[in-house]
Amino acid sequence: MATKIISTICPFCGVGCGLNLRTENGKLISVEPQLDHPVSRGQLCTKGWNSAYGIDAQNRITHPLIRTPQGFRQVSWDEALETIANGLKQILAESGPQATGIISSARATNEDNYAAQKLARAVLKTNNVDHCARICHSPTVAGLSQTLGSGAMTNSAADLLETDLILVFGADPTENHSILGGHIMRAHLEGTKLIVADPRCTRLAKLADSHLQLKLGSNIALLNAMVKTILDNGWQDKKFLDQRCEGLEQLTASVANALEGVEETTGISLPEIESAAKAYSQSKRAMILYGMGITQYVSGTNNVIALSNLALICGQLGRKGTGVNPLRGQNNVQGACDMGCLPNVYPGYQKVDNPEARAKFSQYWKTEVPEHPGLTSMGMTKATLAGEFRGLILFGEDPVVTDPDQNLVKRAFSKLDLLVVAELTMTDTARMADVVLPAASFAEKSGTFTNCERRVQHVQQALPPVGEARTDWQWLAAIAQQLGSDQLDWHDSEAVFREITQITPNYSAMNYTKIDQLQGLQWPCNHETPEGTAILHKDTFPIGKARLIPVHPIDIDERADNEYPLLLTTNRLHFHYGCGSMTRKSPLLERETPAGLLFINPADANDLGVTHRSAVGIRSRRGYVETRAMLTDDLPPGLVCMPYHFREAPSNQLTNTAQDPLTKMPELKACAVSVQPLEPGMSPRPIDEISALKVEGVK
Amino acid sequence: MQNSILNKQAFYNLTPIAIELVDFINDGEDARHFRFRLPSPQSIDKPEPGQFFMLSVPGAGEAPFTFTVTPNDQGVFRALVRKMGEVTTALFQCQPGDILGIRGPFGKGWPVNALANKKILMVAGGCGLAPLAGLIDQLITSHHHKHLALVYGTRNRALQMLNPERLRWQQEISLFDILEDTGSTQASTEENHILEGTPLDAMDSVLRTLDWTPDTLLLCGPEVMMSAAAKNFIQRGLSAQAIWLSIERRMHCAVGLCGHCYLSEHHLAHHYVCKDGPTYRWDHLQPPEKN
Amino acid sequence: MKSYYLDHPNTLRNHLAKSYQIEPPEADSAKSTPPLISPKGQLFAEHENLFTFDGECFRETLPKPAPFVLFGVQSCDLTAIHYQDQFFANDPYYQARRQQALLIGTDCLNPCQQGFCPSVDAGPGVKKETADMILHQLSATSWLLLVCNKKGLNALEGLLLNPANESEFTDRDNRIASCVEQFNDDSYLQQGITAINQNQVPEELWQQLGIQCLSCSGCTTLCPTCSCYGTWERQDSNGDIRRQRFWDSCLYESFQREASQHNPTEEAGERVKRFWTHKFGDNFAQEFGRYGCVGCGRCEQTCPGVVGVHSVMKRIASDAKLDT
Repeated sequence: MATKIISTICPFCGVGCGLNLRTENGKLISVEPQLDHPVSRGQLCTKGWNSAYGIDAQNRITHPLIRTPQGFRQVSWDEALETIANGLKQILAESGPQATGIISSARATNEDNYAAQKLARAVLKTNNVDHCARICHSPTVAGLSQTLGSGAMTNSAADLLETDLILVFGADPTENHSILGGHIMRAHLEGTKLIVADPRCTRLAKLADSHLQLKLGSNIALLNAMVKTILDNGWQDKKFLDQRCEGLEQLTASVANALEGVEETTGISLPEIESAAKAYSQSKRAMILYGMGITQYVSGTNNVIALSNLALICGQLGRKGTGVNPLRGQNNVQGACDMGCLPNVYPGYQKVDNPEARAKFSQYWKTEVPEHPGLTSMGMTKATLAGEFRGLILFGEDPVVTDPDQNLVKRAFSKLDLLVVAELTMTDTARMADVVLPAASFAEKSGTFTNCERRVQHVQQALPPVGEARTDWQWLAAIAQQLGSDQLDWHDSEAVFREITQITPNYSAMNYTKIDQLQGLQWPCNHETPEGTAILHKDTFPIGKARLIPVHPIDIDERADNEYPLLLTTNRLHFHYGCGSMTRKSPLLERETPAGLLFINPADANDLGVTHRSAVGIRSRRGYVETRAMLTDDLPPGLVCMPYHFREAPSNQLTNTAQDPLTKMPELKACAVSVQPLEPGMSPRPIDEISALKVEGVK
Repeated sequence: MQNSILNKQAFYNLTPIAIELVDFINDGEDARHFRFRLPSPQSIDKPEPGQFFMLSVPGAGEAPFTFTVTPNDQGVFRALVRKMGEVTTALFQCQPGDILGIRGPFGKGWPVNALANKKILMVAGGCGLAPLAGLIDQLITSHHHKHLALVYGTRNRALQMLNPERLRWQQEISLFDILEDTGSTQASTEENHILEGTPLDAMDSVLRTLDWTPDTLLLCGPEVMMSAAAKNFIQRGLSAQAIWLSIERRMHCAVGLCGHCYLSEHHLAHHYVCKDGPTYRWDHLQPPEKN
Repeated sequence: MKSYYLDHPNTLRNHLAKSYQIEPPEADSAKSTPPLISPKGQLFAEHENLFTFDGECFRETLPKPAPFVLFGVQSCDLTAIHYQDQFFANDPYYQARRQQALLIGTDCLNPCQQGFCPSVDAGPGVKKETADMILHQLSATSWLLLVCNKKGLNALEGLLLNPANESEFTDRDNRIASCVEQFNDDSYLQQGITAINQNQVPEELWQQLGIQCLSCSGCTTLCPTCSCYGTWERQDSNGDIRRQRFWDSCLYESFQREASQHNPTEEAGERVKRFWTHKFGDNFAQEFGRYGCVGCGRCEQTCPGVVGVHSVMKRIASDAKLDT
């Protein structure tokens, strides 16, 4: 009974809870929380408790596979690597590096992500590298780097218990980031004021002191109104503005008319706006937490800037219990961004089009790195359809389910000459690959994750990889080798990490030993702050003074109309994660929610003849999906809501690809749909069945 | 029954016995009346009316069902199943000859002894008729009771079950079909005993038609229906000790271990329907009188 | 009870290691706080294979663990095992594991942070009917080893120990009593238990607590008396179907949901109410001789929603005060 307990980090969301894996004779028998973990303190959410099921050997991809007309054929690693390398070589020769690209994984380690962008830049010679932050917090990176100089959570999770007011704007942190949601509930019970801004009545909205139930897409209108109210009443932090910000004049001028028509636009009354503005500005310490309800819009970047403006004029930055805190969703999306898996920045956010930065990396890697910023993931899809992009390496992501406009994504992936997918299980995306590689799960490898509060934590291997699965940086290295390059020749994960710290200023004073000793290190961690940094922007901003930038409301791209009379937004459920490929393997989580649902207000349902749990069809300009209706008062009339976790009823059949011009963030949070009840007795059909009928010409 | 390594005490049997699916007939919308065969008539203890068994569909799972006909001397028994979820969907894909599993019988059945000489009114809703079927047959055969009538409510004609059985029972007992949606059926209140609405809507008419007053009420169907019917009859003067119902719950073990079938009545928070029920007397479900 | 002097628990540990697997594997000297993970999973396994089906036959698959020792278990967890011994008395899987287990308890001489075992008669001293042997620390270099039964005595064969003085029993009782004195005031717990049993907690309060409950399942996973499980079928590589049971949680919305979608406890508040009524119910106590709760406090530690035992009982008690 050789029982071992290995300390590691939960693979699901950006909270990065401490997780112990108990193994017996090389098999995982249970997961346990860590009492002394600085963030999770002995707690886990439902996903964390069910993580063992997620990586279970059942239905894992165990060997490399190559696509044939008869289906996937199991091959050796050598054959798979040769096929990949030959494919890449051909594409590079015929169409050049810009026809290739890599989509890395916000779930994989920093080491894996660093290897991915290095393969792209130092071997393939392309900046076409991106990952799911594109559709998640790319506006955060773009917006906050303009206003504050840094796009990460400014404060720490612990601050939630040391603040006077928490403003949750467009986030649902008891569904995802549940441990932080728990901190918020605890803080509130102990007297911290809680304001929630969300079109839906979320769990926190039910507990909050004030719920600003704003109309979908009216974020900037509300925020500008709050800013104007604060300035009009003299509630701003004049000292902070004076010493640490610039642009107040332009901002003040830009919000001159912000109160006109704001009640109509936002659905929030002026007294409510004033009350929230007063509370936030007058609290000694106030924290903003925000999520997809701010970012996933065509005005995503501007939404973030508006939020930043609010925090800046109130001086709620740079101190404990304050800050602008984007809730980075995935366990390592912060890390994937830090590692430069973005088309316009190197590791550490050093800009690709900055000649000095380019020279630095060229020198360090001993090869000329490409000059121009690359394509985003959305850009790669578009370029594929235009015939300009031909070869894609992708791992730990399921864009067929999680990217907007699923049909577009499928067409693009079909068109690629080479699609390489490394995965744990046969997801919808893996099913479209030319070569499938077996990936090691978080429990089967060593490396680091960076959580939403910039804490770099150590992930320790507890199990042998299943079958022939490999850590991502290992098979990326093998591809590099096959292409004749030694750029990715590392001995182990620690060696990769060492290289990361040499080239990434924010990570420069980190090493595995220190990370273990101090239970993670929050960047910046350099010679000035060798034990990490809990609070950013204490004395100065990376850009010197913070910038107040005027932004104006931009309407959502697709309003409801006669043909599509309801607005659709998307949400997360506590019980599932992403495309569900891991959480749906748990019998408990799979039982908890039906495979697909549409939340709808009872009044709307009544008008349509839809009853609770009845089967419905939902149509948008992009596609059609069938699922079951859940009637709830949590939604206002006119707004319906779908979680995106269920591949049988993918909300991304319906969502809009209209993009934020700066970041190419798609407007996942708003589009127009129509809802119809299905014939009585009919069950909702899974999308595969509906698509097959379409192909056959049946409606 | 099952061999187990630790033969020292009466362990719960959590492992099924193999049975064969003999055949089935379609009986109502999405419902089938199955015949199964045990290895031998003595494979399981003789079930009491109202007891249930756990049917295993290998690969899909296990779920509780009632015997509509208990095992005969060939070991053949019958159960009525409506297709609802994973287990029943898998069952509906099975063919005669397929091997399935059974554990049972479990639970406390109908209080047959307390029915001696009673004037019994049974009210069943939807699938709730199945747990009463065996009792009806037994009472008809034994003449143990004084009077017996059945009120059977469903949403519409298509959802009615046990059609052959009801035709047979109609010869012996008063039988009322209550349909929420009578549709194109020729509704006649006197001869066919077909009434519109819910069982409660029709109760006054039913009681008028019977020339005896029920002194015992047996209920089986959706909880809302059973609860409303019990309260209705208490208002009519029936004692809470003369009302019994059969409660349905999600079950995984049927022996009071897995916890799923608990009752949430405050004073019964540690009761398990599989062991202490599924049959309950109405007064036992009510909070105890405060002293 | 026979009693002996022991220089250090490791002496006993090393002796037992010759014939038993020791759980926990690493020696942790004299920890008098219950570990976050109770030994529940050693007897009521988190995943247990129940039987296989090869297409024709169903075959029970009982576990066959080698003899093992649960070493240094606190009174709360031993009390929980004692309860589960009763609850699972007729479960062949539990008993197959249980009969291979030797239980070595440890008296707690100081209150732990979240524990309230004295309030629910589950500690801090180990009751002799709940263990095979009991360790009691006398000083930095001296321990008392109490042998509770024949099984414990047999396990000591081959280990030479000096018998202890009779007076040690009294001293032990005094030390335990003194530990009890140091526990925090538990009046809110008693008030909460009374309110729950008299069904006097307002529905609105249960609903409010229900909003905070995330159904994370942390409480039921860590609770040493929780015993609910679900089942599923898995397919082995040889094609056999295997039924497995796994720990379940009554706080999940789907715990009681039927195939028809009818759910008697659809509201979270109802589930939370039932959980606490089950843990502190007098009816339960009548059947099992004690409350379902052993006062380990783990639910409080692991609950993100602030609805663990202390939080809930304090809310109930203070809510009751407001009404008076």
